[in-house]
Amino acid sequence: MAPIQGLDSLSNALATLAQLSTSSSSLDGVPTDLEASVRFAGSLLTQAAGVLLRLPQEVIAQAVVIFTRFWIGPEGGSLAIYSAKDISAASVYLTAKLSFQPTSPRSVLNVYSFLLSKEASPLWFVNPNGPGVQPAPETYYLSEGTYQSERLVLLRMEATILRTLGFQIRVIIPHTIALTYLQTMNATSPALAKRIFEHLSAALLSPQLLYVTHQPNALAVAAIYLGAREEGVKLADGEWWKVFDVDREELGFLVVAMRSMNGFAMAEKDKWKTQPIPLIADDVMEELEKKRASDGD
Amino acid sequence: MDNRRIRTSRSDHTSTCLEIASSLVAPRTFLFSQPSKGSLNFPLRRISTLSRSTMDKSQPSSFQQLEKLGEGTYATVFKGKNRQTGEMVALKEIHLDSEEGTPSTAIREISLMKELKHESIVSLYDVIHTENKLMLVFEYMDKDLKKYMDSRGDHGQLDYVTIKSFMHQLLRGIAFCHENRVLHRDLKPQNLLINKKGQLKLADFGLARAFGIPVNTFSNEVVTLWYRAPDVLLGSRTYNTSIDIWSAGCIMAEMYTGRPLFPGTTNEDQLQKIFRLMGTPSERSWPGISQFPEYKPNFHVYATQDLRLILPQIDQLGLDLLNRMLQLRPEMRISAPDALRHPWFNDLPQLQAQMQQPMVGGYGGMVGGQPNY
Repeated sequence: MAPIQGLDSLSNALATLAQLSTSSSSLDGVPTDLEASVRFAGSLLTQAAGVLLRLPQEVIAQAVVIFTRFWIGPEGGSLAIYSAKDISAASVYLTAKLSFQPTSPRSVLNVYSFLLSKEASPLWFVNPNGPGVQPAPETYYLSEGTYQSERLVLLRMEATILRTLGFQIRVIIPHTIALTYLQTMNATSPALAKRIFEHLSAALLSPQLLYVTHQPNALAVAAIYLGAREEGVKLADGEWWKVFDVDREELGFLVVAMRSMNGFAMAEKDKWKTQPIPLIADDVMEELEKKRASDGD
Repeated sequence: MDNRRIRTSRSDHTSTCLEIASSLVAPRTFLFSQPSKGSLNFPLRRISTLSRSTMDKSQPSSFQQLEKLGEGTYATVFKGKNRQTGEMVALKEIHLDSEEGTPSTAIREISLMKELKHESIVSLYDVIHTENKLMLVFEYMDKDLKKYMDSRGDHGQLDYVTIKSFMHQLLRGIAFCHENRVLHRDLKPQNLLINKKGQLKLADFGLARAFGIPVNTFSNEVVTLWYRAPDVLLGSRTYNTSIDIWSAGCIMAEMYTGRPLFPGTTNEDQLQKIFRLMGTPSERSWPGISQFPEYKPNFHVYATQDLRLILPQIDQLGLDLLNRMLQLRPEMRISAPDALRHPWFNDLPQLQAQMQQPMVGGYGGMVGGQPNY
């Protein structure tokens, strides 16, 4: 039998350097910082929708990675053409469909209609003023007519994602790998495992796109390293990460990246405290116009 | 539909000539694009093993759609012809549901098939994605194993050399899937395709899925009843590669007799038919069996029968291999790589060499004629 080259069971397809340096959005004139903000908000939106749909974190994480992959490289989707909210919804719908917990277009669209409501949304980047005490249901109700048209958009975006990613929708999540590594090192404790999961879930939102630039084993090792330090758990002596095929350089990079997540999120929140982050292509273009006008002054 | 456009088509065919507008074809990067190992937007990692002219072209191919070959569970399959090369292909047309979108079966099949490139697995050449349908372009095969057996006159029974050759190819295909952590989950004669060269290839990966660690709880609603493993029938949701081996065992017996080994009608009937032949398992022979959701303490108790009674033609070594594949307990079932090393296959090269002599073209003579799709 020939040795296996393709389909490495515990690795993901990663972005190339060229794909990371030029995105379709940047070719359309979307500034890098705006792109990063929209991607961040879109990932948060995906995570929130997954929670409301009661999807397992594994499925939600896969949806965020699909969402992230979609915008990468000159052949990826552009924020000037596709709305982040639509790609987010389609990523959730598509990922859930392939999981053990499929969900209906109706449920997905109900949830998005709530999360994107300017009055009712609990999300700071959609509704900077926060929801009222009890927002009126009419502000997030999805009528039958709107549902029908939104469903068509959802299914069209699903097909767009599949085509853009060339059906490359398999995503290996590092969470279970991290647990296996912990067990191997006899270091399992609920507090440590929780901290590791927190880092791995936060890393999904990283502006450095950690899930499309690093393999799951490296993400798992970095989260373990960081989590153990924070929790004061002593791991094996020596360079244990080498056993899991991660070198010091990669580990160092990932630890720094994971530790910077909090600062990045805070800065984003501060930057967008008065206006919502644009999650619709038209709004992105409007933001671009505004910026051009102010730059011109 | 205009039948006159294809002169060669038989009058009873509702053949149609379909132009697939190249503008509707997915972007060039979509499938089989520039190689840069393991990167995004490069779905196919082993492009070097494929030398299909249709894929190397920057222009997407267009296909002439010919007669219908069959109706699958979620798709219709047509014979097709590549307009540029004249090569025959099988076009699997999947209608996109306006309620659910792209079927999950199609998504799984495409994402797995693009990575599973092996001579015992039918090749996926291209995917054409339009607004309302999805067209998968597969390598052309002449017929499925079921039709092949039916066409063999002798009550569907196959000869010894063909059985051995087909089993070897089937197990190689299975071994490759398992090595790549893919379970087929739906092996049956209808999903094994045969071509005129006597090659057998696995097809229809609509129910297949990748497995990793840890083993998830899978849905137990898979595998056509007749070829379904007893652990799955008992409600196991942590099954593994051994379910495909059980199916292979059932298929091996069927090639000897021309009849399905365990043609059950319901889940319960299927279990009973298996137990009647293989013996009813107990906690003693299968520790933990009583914990399965579908386990009934009042299963009729049957003694184990000798498989030779229903397979009088089988030789001692073949019987040994079959018994190792048809073990009730999944952990006792032989693995695909071990099955391939079984001594029953030792004389396969010799037998095939002998077959080549009198029969020019190997199995060509056996298939013969127009496939009766």
